[in-house]
Amino acid sequence: MMTGGNCSLILLPTLRCNAACGYCFERESDYDLTMEQLSVVVQKVMDYMDQRRQETLSIYWQGGEVMTMPPAWFEQAHDVVQEAAERRHKQVLNYIQSNMMAYGRQWNGIISSMFGNNIGSSMDFPNLHRKLKGGSPKEYEIIWEQKNLEAKEAGIEVGIISIPNNQTLEMGADRFYSHFVEELGLTSFQINTPFPGGAPSTVKQGYPLDVNHLSKFMVDLAGIWIDRGRPNGVRVGPFDKLLDYFLYGNKDLLCIWRDNCVNEFVCIDPRGHVAQCDCWVTSYPEFRFGNIFDCGNLSDLLRNSQARRRLQARPGLLVQGEDCLDCLYLTLCHGGCPVRAYTATGDLYRKDPYCNLYKTLFTAMEEAAANLGISRPESCTTQRM
Amino acid sequence: MIEKYRGQNLIVRSHDPSELVKKLNQEDLDKLSYVQIHTLGLGIDDLLSWEYAVPIDLVVQNPLTDLPLLYQYAPLLTNHAVRVSVPVAPGFLNLAKLAVSLDFSVKLEILQPDRTLFEEMIQLAHYYLHQSTVSKPIEYFHSLFLAFYHNTPLTLWSIQEEDPTRIRYITDQGEEAVSKRFTEMGPAPDSASLIKEFIEERAALQAECDACEFRVNCSGYFKWPRPDYNCDGAKSVFRMLKDAAIELRKDLAQLGERGENP
Repeated sequence: MMTGGNCSLILLPTLRCNAACGYCFERESDYDLTMEQLSVVVQKVMDYMDQRRQETLSIYWQGGEVMTMPPAWFEQAHDVVQEAAERRHKQVLNYIQSNMMAYGRQWNGIISSMFGNNIGSSMDFPNLHRKLKGGSPKEYEIIWEQKNLEAKEAGIEVGIISIPNNQTLEMGADRFYSHFVEELGLTSFQINTPFPGGAPSTVKQGYPLDVNHLSKFMVDLAGIWIDRGRPNGVRVGPFDKLLDYFLYGNKDLLCIWRDNCVNEFVCIDPRGHVAQCDCWVTSYPEFRFGNIFDCGNLSDLLRNSQARRRLQARPGLLVQGEDCLDCLYLTLCHGGCPVRAYTATGDLYRKDPYCNLYKTLFTAMEEAAANLGISRPESCTTQRM
Repeated sequence: MIEKYRGQNLIVRSHDPSELVKKLNQEDLDKLSYVQIHTLGLGIDDLLSWEYAVPIDLVVQNPLTDLPLLYQYAPLLTNHAVRVSVPVAPGFLNLAKLAVSLDFSVKLEILQPDRTLFEEMIQLAHYYLHQSTVSKPIEYFHSLFLAFYHNTPLTLWSIQEEDPTRIRYITDQGEEAVSKRFTEMGPAPDSASLIKEFIEERAALQAECDACEFRVNCSGYFKWPRPDYNCDGAKSVFRMLKDAAIELRKDLAQLGERGENP
C-alpha cells in the first residue's frame, strides 16, 4: 500500500484589501468566504485528495488581505479544517500571507495555534509601491515596521517576500541585505521578481525589470548571504533552496521552478472560482478552471477544464519551442512561471521573461556549492514565489 | 494471457494504464516486477489512485511526438518508481535529457544505431557522466559504468533485460522470445545457450568480437540482427564509460591516500 503526496491549496477567503499597492496583480472585490462555503471547499478538496491518495494538505491563506477578516473567523475556520482533517485522516499545514497592516495582539492566539507562530508578510526596500489606501509608501513602511516589531515581541517569526525595484538595484545588495537583516532583524526573506499581471499601471510598465541589472543584484545578494547570513541561520530565498539542491540534491524548489505547477497547486477565491494561482483567479477569468460550488467534485472540474489543459500542456510545448532542452538546468526550471510569461508576452507558451536571471543564479549557486562543499544540512519547507 | 504465467515473476505491459489497474489482482501484484505502458498520453488518473506502489515503465514509441507527454507522468513519482524506455531513434537525445530532468530513470532501447544516432549516444553518455544535475540512471550507461568501476563481468544482455537465462518476452500472440528485438527470430531456445551460440555464430563471421576489449561486457550484443554491423560507435561509448570509471577509481584512491572521506 502506498501513502504520501501533498496537495497545495492557495485559498483566498477574501478579496478585500486595506492597501493599494502600485504593482498589485489582483482585482479587488467585496466577497468573503462563509464558513459554510469553507466546509464545502474543504470537503471537496479532501475528496480530491482521497482520489489521488494524498495525505497532506498545505493551505496558503492569502487574500486580498486576510487580516481584513476577524481573527474569530480564522478560529472557526481552523476548527472546520481540523475537524475534517481528523475525520478524513489528513494532515493540514496552514500558512498565512498578510501585509500585517491590521495585525494586533488579537491575532496572536490564532497565529500561534493555526500558523505555528509564523506569518509570511511582504516589504520592499526602498518601499516605492506598497501603500495604504490614501496613504504614502513611507506611512505604510512605518506602520509595517511597527507591526513587525510587535509580532516579534509576541514571539512570532515574520518572513517576508520582497520585490526589488530599480532603486533597489541602484542601491545594491549590501545595503538591501543590511536593511532587512541588520536593521530590521529579519532572519527569513525571499526575493520575488515583479511582473505586469492584472490591470495595467504606470508601475507595471517598467516590468519585467532589466534582467542583467537584476542578475547582478541577485548574485551579489547571494554572495552576501552565504558569507554573512547562512552561518548565522539567516534564510534568504531562493538562494537557500538552490544551495540546498546543489549541496545535497534536495529538490524543494519554488513553484516557478517546478516541472509543472499545475500538478501541485490549485487556487480558490471566495466566490469559489478555481484557477492555478491568485493572479489567474482574480485577474484572468478566461483562465479559471471552473467553480467549486457548481461542480460535483473537484477531480471532474480539473479534469474537464480546457484552461487547465492549456496550462498542463505548457512545459511540454514550450521546451520544444524555446531553448530549454539545451539548458543545463532543465531539471531546475521547465520554462519558469506561466503567469510571468503570459503577462509579459501575451503568450502562455513562451518561457519566463526572467530566464537569463534564473540561469545566472543557478550557475552562481552551483559554483557556490562547489566552493562550500558538504556541510550541515538545512531544513526546508515549500515556498511560493 | 496473464493467467498462463501466474506464479512467475512478471512484467506486464499494456497500452492502457486503466486496464493494468483494473485487471491485476493481488496474486499478480505479489509477483509483479513492474508494469509497462506502451501508449503515452492516455491520462494517469487511475495510476494516481492505484493503491499499490508498483514500478512503472513508460515505453516511448516515437521520441519526437512523445516528448511533450512526459510531463503528465511526473506526479506518479510521488508513489511510484518510474522509468522511461526510449528507442534510440531520431529525437531520443532530447527525450532522454528531459526524462532525467523530470527525475525519471531512463533505459535506452538499442537496435543497431547509425553513426548519427551514435554521435547523439556519445553526447548523452557525456551528459550522464558529467552534468551535475543528472541524478537518475540512464541505462545501459549506468550499469556498464558500475561494471567497469567494480570490474564485474556484467553483460549488456543482462543490463538490457534480455538475458535468456532470466527473462522471456511474450508476444501479443503468446509466443516466447528473448526480447522484443528478437520477436522476428521465432521461438526462443529452451536452454540458456542462446548468447553462447549467438556469439559463436557471429564470431565465426566476425573476428572483430574476439579482438574486442569490451567482449566480456558486450557479448556480441550489437551484432544483432546484422552480424556485419560496424561497432565503432558502440566501442566509443564503452571507451568513454570505462575511462570515466577508471578516472573515478583513481580519484577516490587518491582521496583515500590523502585521508579525505570520499
